[in-house]
Amino acid sequence: MNEKLDKLLKSSATIKTTILLSVVFFFASFAAQDIFAQKRFSKTYTASKNVRLQLTNRTGTVTVEGWDKEEIQISAYLEAPAANIVPVSLSGTILINVVKDNQGRNEVGNVNFLVRVPRGSSVDIETRMGNLNVSNVQGTLVRAHISSEGDITLTNIGASNVSAENVIGDIFFDGDVQPNGNYRFISTRGNINLRIPFNAGFKLVATAPSTRNISLGAFSGGNMKFVGDGRRVIGQSGDGSATLTVTNQRGSISFIRR
Amino acid sequence: MNCEHCQQLISVFMDNELDETSSAEVREHLAVCEPCSKVCEDLAMIIDFCQLDVEETVLPPNPQALWCRINNVIESEVQAEILKEHKEKVEAATVETANTGWLPRRWNLSFMQVASSVLFIALVSSVLTIIGIRNYSGASNDMAGVNEPPTLFEKVLGKVGLVETPHQKRERILKERRTAIEYWNKRVQTRRVQWNANLRDAFDRNLNEINQAVNEYTQILQENPQDELSGEMLDSALNDKMELLREFSEL
Repeated sequence: MNEKLDKLLKSSATIKTTILLSVVFFFASFAAQDIFAQKRFSKTYTASKNVRLQLTNRTGTVTVEGWDKEEIQISAYLEAPAANIVPVSLSGTILINVVKDNQGRNEVGNVNFLVRVPRGSSVDIETRMGNLNVSNVQGTLVRAHISSEGDITLTNIGASNVSAENVIGDIFFDGDVQPNGNYRFISTRGNINLRIPFNAGFKLVATAPSTRNISLGAFSGGNMKFVGDGRRVIGQSGDGSATLTVTNQRGSISFIRR
Repeated sequence: MNCEHCQQLISVFMDNELDETSSAEVREHLAVCEPCSKVCEDLAMIIDFCQLDVEETVLPPNPQALWCRINNVIESEVQAEILKEHKEKVEAATVETANTGWLPRRWNLSFMQVASSVLFIALVSSVLTIIGIRNYSGASNDMAGVNEPPTLFEKVLGKVGLVETPHQKRERILKERRTAIEYWNKRVQTRRVQWNANLRDAFDRNLNEINQAVNEYTQILQENPQDELSGEMLDSALNDKMELLREFSEL
């Protein structure tokens, strides 16, 4: 009789413990969901072919892709604590400024953007920290600026004005060099790799003062010369109508034939 | 009656316009007061003189004609003086024109003086134009032009202090950059306490990277102040530092 009672008591204690633990796990799982939850922001604008996107992010990755639709589709994944995002459409320009929209807040989570724009758009994006990727954009301007660290990847770009700038991180450009265009790539520490057509016409000033690591690849030749004890290359390729300025304070510069 | 009252009434007394009582009082006073009686005598003499036939003794027989003659004499003399003066002026102007062409007498310069004046004006104009262009183009805050070697003329102007030498320009720009960096750094220091650890680490890492570049170029420039490329890179690194501070101060 006593044994039965003992078993019963033990089993009831086990049940209680199990229920208690279940409750704890139940609430804990909700709390964990809150901590790691990602909110999603989505908005679509009808846009002309040559619309301009101007996006300033705080921290996080920004990816901009050109597509064949005449609309801008903005998707953002907001890590907790979620940032405020208030896009504004203003006379042919879509403005998103996460820094301004969250000024004064102590804690703001990363915002990872995926923005699809018409191919002919101009894209001007910057972030304080995080990667920037732009692809398939053929508009007048592509500007990618990282205040501190992060990689910049620009692929299949046909813009005539391109600027990419960061402090720590790699810069990769794969695109055309338009006649009379202006191309500027600046980094403090990282690798700058430029993949451009062999028949591109440009004047070049490439400076890597610390490493003196400037690889011209297929573009080396009679019209290019090293100056300043090998810290800088100046020269011309083709008709020299475009201007190409590359500065890497403490990293390397490489040219790759497209 | 006192003297004052008496002398006030004398004129009226002499004209016989006083009443009997006052006249008697005046007479009594004049009888005993010598000064008042003297005043009365003087006044009587003046009145007597005025009552003489003055017109006949002083005025000419035909004063109108006399005035006409005097007026004619004066006018003729003044007219002659004016004509003489005008004649002299015309003669002087004729002589000046004959001597110096289009220049008035006070601008009477020799050929050498004129030539040297023209040269001086041309030189001053050129210098002012160069200074103006230099200052206008030099107002930008980049190092463009700093790396170009100065011409002899620029060196001379630099020595005189009329234009900035490349070295002076570099120093000025670097000073401006450092002032801006100091300002933004203060703002960052007030903001960074609110950043999370990741952001603070990233900021410090990147600032450290830029500082290393700045130190590297500063050291090179101390050893070789003429290294233009390092000067340019130092400016670029300081600009990057300022941008980093400015952009993070917004967070």
